[in-house]
Amino acid sequence: MKIGENLINKVKEKIAISDVYRQPEDQITITVDRNDLPEAVRILYYDLGGWLSSMVPNDERQINGNYTLYYILSMEGGKMTPDDEIVKEDKCWITVKTYIPANDPTYPSVTLKVPAAVWYEREAFDMFGLTAVGLPDPRRLMVSDDWPEGLFPLRKDSMDYRHRPNPVDHKDEPEHEFIKPEGAGVLDVPLGPLHITSDEPGHFRLYCDGDTIIDADYRLFYQHRGMEKLAENRMNYDQMGYLAERVCGICGYAHSIACIEAAEKAIGLEIPLRAQAMRVICLEIERLHSHLLNIGLACEVTGNVNAFMHIFRIREFSMELAQLVTGGRKTYGNVVVGGLRRDMTGNEIKQSLKILETIETQTNEVWDAVMDDKNQIKRWKGVGILDKQVARDFSAVGPNVRGSGFKRDSRYDHPYDFLTQLDFDIPTEDGCDVFARETVRYKELLQSVSIIRQCFEMMPGGLTVIKPQTLIKPQAFAIGNDEAPRGENIHWIMHGNAQKVYRWRCRAATYNNWPSLRYQFRGNTIADAALIVCSLDPCYSCTERVTVVDVKSNKSKILTHKDLKRYSQSLKNHPLKNL
Amino acid sequence: MKLLDMANKYGKATYNYPFQPYVVAENFRGKPSYIYENCIGCTACGVACPSNAINVKLNEDKTKLVWEFDAARCIFCGRCDEVCPTGAVVLSQEFELAVKFDKNNLKEKGELDVEYCEVCNKPFTTKRLISYNLHRLEKAGWNKETLDKKVHYIRTCPDCKRKHKVEVITQYLKRGTK
Repeated sequence: MKIGENLINKVKEKIAISDVYRQPEDQITITVDRNDLPEAVRILYYDLGGWLSSMVPNDERQINGNYTLYYILSMEGGKMTPDDEIVKEDKCWITVKTYIPANDPTYPSVTLKVPAAVWYEREAFDMFGLTAVGLPDPRRLMVSDDWPEGLFPLRKDSMDYRHRPNPVDHKDEPEHEFIKPEGAGVLDVPLGPLHITSDEPGHFRLYCDGDTIIDADYRLFYQHRGMEKLAENRMNYDQMGYLAERVCGICGYAHSIACIEAAEKAIGLEIPLRAQAMRVICLEIERLHSHLLNIGLACEVTGNVNAFMHIFRIREFSMELAQLVTGGRKTYGNVVVGGLRRDMTGNEIKQSLKILETIETQTNEVWDAVMDDKNQIKRWKGVGILDKQVARDFSAVGPNVRGSGFKRDSRYDHPYDFLTQLDFDIPTEDGCDVFARETVRYKELLQSVSIIRQCFEMMPGGLTVIKPQTLIKPQAFAIGNDEAPRGENIHWIMHGNAQKVYRWRCRAATYNNWPSLRYQFRGNTIADAALIVCSLDPCYSCTERVTVVDVKSNKSKILTHKDLKRYSQSLKNHPLKNL
Repeated sequence: MKLLDMANKYGKATYNYPFQPYVVAENFRGKPSYIYENCIGCTACGVACPSNAINVKLNEDKTKLVWEFDAARCIFCGRCDEVCPTGAVVLSQEFELAVKFDKNNLKEKGELDVEYCEVCNKPFTTKRLISYNLHRLEKAGWNKETLDKKVHYIRTCPDCKRKHKVEVITQYLKRGTK
């Protein structure tokens, strides 16, 4: 029996499936009628234990005259209880595909049944003009508020990638509508347009009753760069990996690996073992680097600058490690289709093992010291609670979901590259709060160190790169996945003609975490707002202002980046005092 | 308290940069350095460069082949180093690019003499590339006589070569029909 056959049979009992396509073996695409779409996704999501990983709208009018939607589900079990998990051999990807006729671009909304699809369906309208009928939140998500109506950038016939619609004067710009809670009065505290922890754009609006946040809303994507459009129009496969790296400043390597692996899987290309091991090493170096950054920032936001400095001192070692492995202080510019560009020497491996030891001992030391600090723990515990059910409904990823007790990791559920031969744990915590997430990160750091060490010890010989002899197959598509520091990255590639990509869908880890952030804000104080956003480890360039609103007096105040950070660190001089 | 002890234990973690040089790893990938003497103008680096940092094109009056590098566009992937047959582009250990304030300081240029086609008199490659190829053929064991016979062929542009071949084939076919 093939992988996932029994899952498909269960879907077949209730819904007519017109086509089953496998490429590769553990990635199954089933085609259903568009009216059956919400039910099919619901069965796979809640009844059979799937998680919504991505949704790809595609303009296939040149191929079959229709628009298509691909709902990518990762079948790994609900994981609400320990025995609620699918056995390792049966874990697979199931993609629900549906055709939407070009003359009637509407489809029934899946969000009503599976809340995780909300951002994806809002994006499908922005980019392709595909309307989800019954979508509870049909506001714009990706394109700016002054974007002309009826111009959908990712349609093949809409516009040149060099074209930009004329900018609107700032005074004429339409205001973004925020969702407001009902109440006697609302105090509106805008936080932004710069973000409090990482100085990146994003507009948050916090609705407060006194000091307590009762609801939150946000407007992001001020930095949407249209990379997918750019890749479709002018990039070849040589350049695409390097473009994918530029998605994010920290987890860029994970993006390029996912992107290149999607392209490789679609044509069935196997890369040499040595390259596989080195890809895993680089991904884990990135995790060391990113987790140390986040733990450091979580200390700094609560005013513990001393610990922040120590953690950043250790972080410097991870950059030195990257320098030894790839030749740059970041792990960039290394991946090509068919393997890796750069090999390591024995001397470099020896030096790397030495640095790994320093990272391990010093991280343990600093973490022990932070754990001794009672004030620090007080600020972290019970803050920003991500409920188990909310995490399940919104398909959260990364340390965010592992801090809520789900053992959900791409390395464990869908192992890629060299990871099948390695021995490692996936640490989880049941606290659901900031403290649990930071603990998960700390434990993962130690796991990463052990993974890198194992890879160096087992390092297979041979080449690091093969020339891809297989030609690009037009219309072949596949999913590429990997575990970035923030969670699972999914890239979906459909090959086109002439060494170009027909459609590239890049889904960064933070994209899945944002919709559930609203629920994490509720019930916390304004002082913790910065910390909650920080514990999510947000990545603005992947996705990205804050308004605080008082529900009693109906007043609002815009807090600057400095104000909120100062209040979070000192807990003195309440920003809403003199309203 | 523990954290303060740690500060004493590990001492200073910062450098007195820029007064004290930062030591990079042995195989560090810095700014590509261009060695003009080695360059033969084969344009392999320009083709390989994924970010279009290297541009190789003819100048306006078509007398020189201009090799241009823009460090602001470079992503330091080292593809140019990889493809260069003569070692004219090598990644250096230099990384201090932001300290040069003038934008033109980020650019590097090299001009090479152009070789004209013996048949149509159009520029098609560089003088250095021709002499490099002749040298390689000599090393491969070609004797002087065959080389002298072939020199004319080597100094013809690809378009003229193609035309010549078509002519030869058509003549052959005509003869065949007669």
